[in-house]
Amino acid sequence: MYRAAVAVAVAVAFADSSIVVLALPELYGRFHTSITGVSWVITAYNAAVAVTAFALFFMRRSRLAAGLLVFFAASIGCAVAQSLPFLIGARTVQGIGAALLLAGSLRVLSARVWTLAGTFGLALGPALGGVLTQAFDWRAIFIVQAPVAALGLLGAARSPSHVDDGARPTTGALRANACLGLLFGALVGALFLAVLLVISVWNYSPIGGALIVSALPAAALAVRPLGARLSGAVAAGAALLALGLIGLALLPSASVWLLVWALALCGAGLGLALPALSNAALPSGTLTVGARHVGLVVALALIAPLLASKVPAAGDRALLKGTAVLLDAPVGLDKKVPVALDMRDAFARARAGETPDLAQPFDANGAQHDSSLAAARDRLVGTIEATITRASRPAFLVCAGFAALALLLVLAVAL
Amino acid sequence: MKLVLIALLASGLVLLGVEVGKGALHEPPPKLADPCLPRGGRTGGLDATVQRIVLDGLDGAACRLHTTREELVLSLAPEVGVRRRWDEHTIEVAIRAGLLRSIDEAQRRGDIPDFVAPALRSLVRHAPIDRLVRGGIGLASAF
Repeated sequence: MYRAAVAVAVAVAFADSSIVVLALPELYGRFHTSITGVSWVITAYNAAVAVTAFALFFMRRSRLAAGLLVFFAASIGCAVAQSLPFLIGARTVQGIGAALLLAGSLRVLSARVWTLAGTFGLALGPALGGVLTQAFDWRAIFIVQAPVAALGLLGAARSPSHVDDGARPTTGALRANACLGLLFGALVGALFLAVLLVISVWNYSPIGGALIVSALPAAALAVRPLGARLSGAVAAGAALLALGLIGLALLPSASVWLLVWALALCGAGLGLALPALSNAALPSGTLTVGARHVGLVVALALIAPLLASKVPAAGDRALLKGTAVLLDAPVGLDKKVPVALDMRDAFARARAGETPDLAQPFDANGAQHDSSLAAARDRLVGTIEATITRASRPAFLVCAGFAALALLLVLAVAL
Repeated sequence: MKLVLIALLASGLVLLGVEVGKGALHEPPPKLADPCLPRGGRTGGLDATVQRIVLDGLDGAACRLHTTREELVLSLAPEVGVRRRWDEHTIEVAIRAGLLRSIDEAQRRGDIPDFVAPALRSLVRHAPIDRLVRGGIGLASAF
């Protein structure tokens, strides 16, 4: 029972790397900040986990109970935050607690359970955060984490501080950790970016988005038995992850089945690569926690400016193309002009922070009963979604580059 | 085992092939047209004729301003957030000139009767296009 509570806490600590992705628009509106400012809510946590994990590795010390306690307190701190600097500070403390608990849990859980909990936590984090934000509020994300940490704490309070025996990690463990760091960097594309695309650009609800993105953990689970029995599973996994990410980069439109196909490839890649890599890396203890989160932080640092530069330009291009669709639509003036005026109002509201519903002006003017207006609506929405979808392409390709580097590393050192 | 792996890798390559086949390497349509080149449009019926005259007129104005018809239209709706690159007078002159030329073309094509064309030209010369440009799209009251 105590181990199950710790496993859930490990899953939550990994989920926290990405859990606030879908709450970012709400945080942005709540704290009246910049995109860069709000992105620190994610970066601060992952950077704190990485730095603390490396510090623990060099100090050769880990303490599960202290980690759970800090994580518990910081989760409550995040939930009651009234300003962005306070929230970022609380997230940093939460990251420190997460590193302590992840490192300490390595001594409590088997390698298989620890890896499974981490993979599923990371994979389900964005969807879980989205569902909580949609159902309640962004604060709910942090409120639900506190009892999880408290449950683990009840049992862990009796566990002693652990001091490592001083053994240095083997070269194999170091290589496995380097590869894990690269694969976690690649995961930023398959998790953070794909979820943002589905919900923020394609306008799916967080619950709908969660169902779509669940293709990744489902595929990972399906191929997991193969990974244990296949030689070259890590190389094959890295290759599949790279192919899946290139598939995400090349999405020609807002096509759910192509996205699910690409995510399933990413999931299969992870399912093949992670068990073997984790077995090789886990003996190095806290080093593996740090390596994974360094991969996340580096990938986030690389793709954030790419998105910041590409998405606004794509938005402008999408607006021009959408205007062309509307002007050329074979629809009477009695419908076209009211739709254009409603569209203008929708964009005015969007500038005030609201996500524009571009189908609504058509529906409000009778698209349900007018096939030409419905066709114009579908074409306009499809054009805008396809144009903005392609703005994520460079970021997905950077993530595919991480997977390709992992593949090269595996081939070079025969992991 | 290896067969499953080969199937997975092949599935990845097929995915990329499908995406390329669906136009992943090309800019999604529509391509913004050059407003200085003639383009076809719907004719027949009052609504289609009016729309073609207005759209051709906007094309003519956009051509004079060295922009696209779409950017010109968006610049008339400041709420959308597109920065206006010309002063109000320049836009007004361009739109009037574009519409007058569009009426000439419609008359030449036979889309409007000869006796209607002068009235339309007079309408364009005296229409409050300056107010339209100053206040964004102010047609809401007409609908």
